[in-house]
Amino acid sequence: MMTTVFNIENLNLFYGDFHALKNIDMVIYKNQVTALIGPSGCGKSTFIRCLNRMNDLIPEAKMEGCVRFDGEECQIGGYDVIGLRKRVGMVFQKPNPFPMSIFDNVAFGPRQQGIKQKEVLQGIVEKALKQAALYEEVKDRLTSSALSLSGGQQQRLCIARALALEPEVILMDEPTSALDPLATQRIESLINDLKEDYTIVIVTHSMQQAARISDYTAFFYMGELREIDTTEKIFKAPRLKQTEDYITGRFG
Amino acid sequence: MSQKHTALSKIDALTQRTLTIFGIVSASFILLIAFFITIRGIIPFITDNNGAGAVNVWLFLTETVWLRGPTFVSSAYGVGFLIIQTLYLAFLSLFISFPVGVLTALFIAKIAPKRLASVLRSIVELMASIPSIVYGLVGVGLFLPWIHALARALGQQSAGGLGTLGVMIVLALMSLPTITAISEVSIRSVDQSLEHASLALGATPTQTRFKITLLAAKSGIFSSAILAIGRALGEATAVSLVAGNARSGPNFGLFNITSTLTSTMLEGMKETVGIDYDIRFSVGIILMIVILITNLILNTLKKKVGNVHA
Repeated sequence: MMTTVFNIENLNLFYGDFHALKNIDMVIYKNQVTALIGPSGCGKSTFIRCLNRMNDLIPEAKMEGCVRFDGEECQIGGYDVIGLRKRVGMVFQKPNPFPMSIFDNVAFGPRQQGIKQKEVLQGIVEKALKQAALYEEVKDRLTSSALSLSGGQQQRLCIARALALEPEVILMDEPTSALDPLATQRIESLINDLKEDYTIVIVTHSMQQAARISDYTAFFYMGELREIDTTEKIFKAPRLKQTEDYITGRFG
Repeated sequence: MSQKHTALSKIDALTQRTLTIFGIVSASFILLIAFFITIRGIIPFITDNNGAGAVNVWLFLTETVWLRGPTFVSSAYGVGFLIIQTLYLAFLSLFISFPVGVLTALFIAKIAPKRLASVLRSIVELMASIPSIVYGLVGVGLFLPWIHALARALGQQSAGGLGTLGVMIVLALMSLPTITAISEVSIRSVDQSLEHASLALGATPTQTRFKITLLAAKSGIFSSAILAIGRALGEATAVSLVAGNARSGPNFGLFNITSTLTSTMLEGMKETVGIDYDIRFSVGIILMIVILITNLILNTLKKKVGNVHA
């Protein structure tokens, strides 16, 4: 029996009158890569943003139901969002390093937690950069601007920045959609390494990517979770015709 | 078809030429002004000023007294202390207007509800359009008595409140809308994905605003400070009403009377002739040079600051 990290029960999300997520029941397993697939506007990005409560930033977004993290009680209002986000990191679609040095980017999270000692920060930054497979490329220029890095390096820096807080889960919202094939490959092999220690949830538009890197695949359509299973099953013998049609490129 | 095409490209060429002419005309105004001021302002140095004697450039630049003695003679004019006081007052006013302006901008751009934000934006625009003489009157009528009372309470001498502190406050008020408006625009145009990244790292909204938003907007915020300095260096009317028009210096004390290049140019301009009249154009040259050099330095600084991680 695998340990679960997220238990999502009867989750509904509304943007004003628009019903963006409908009665989602889902489990996310520890140290597994879960891919979320589905056509644009199906709710997969909205869903991933429920997991670290980024939807809270949108005033008209209203969330109902339960997203239970790590066996916590079901809470929607008055929730310690800051505490949650320290444990559930996020990497965005477009690499978005802060306009500061490589070192300061990675040290940003820990610094906001009040860590000030230089040696401690140096240790954290080095470890995170190594985990993100970026250290060798940048170790001689940690003080230069993060914006001087290539797109692929910037995205790995953003992953390192998230790793510096030692989260349990990393959410990735189409992390390679702005990258070239080579940079994409590096991120994918990085994801493969990271799942030893982390739980990863990734939104992707690439079926091949989902097939290559994920253990579980969830197919979303029109705000509903239509099917979730091991990636092998989803790609070899999906339960629904609709899933098969989407995966084989017949719509989407 | 080809005829129509030719006609269109002719219009294109004509438009381009017309716009070029407009550009040249606009640019030549500044040359005209600089040329005129220089021609007038150079007279005291190269003529004997109807017997008053030629003004020594070095003494003019370094002297610490303006208009020494009862008669207008060539050795009576020094602007060294005025240059220092002008710069001192402009930067001093920034100590109030910069933090207040940037924090107001942050509030309008990020925290205020939409309705309140638009009301505040209108107020800032209105503040920018108030004529400087009005700021000067508010300074004289409202702030001077307060400053006088404050000086008394602190056991200090003050000339009815006239002086450095009054100028500092009036200039700060006048440059506040510039700083607020420009900073607000640059704060609003910060890429939201940076703020989201910060929040997703468990930073609080306050940490995000001060550590990420302001950082990402720093180039625009710096520009607003440069414009504010420019306005403060060039302001004459309001300053001359509250400065006390000191004739020697430099004076740095908050309750000391003071003066600037502009207030000195303005003072008595209408009632005077000869060297005493011409020399004010010379001060104009100095003022333009001071503003030019200050802008050059600040812009270089801005490039350095902005380029560090941008």
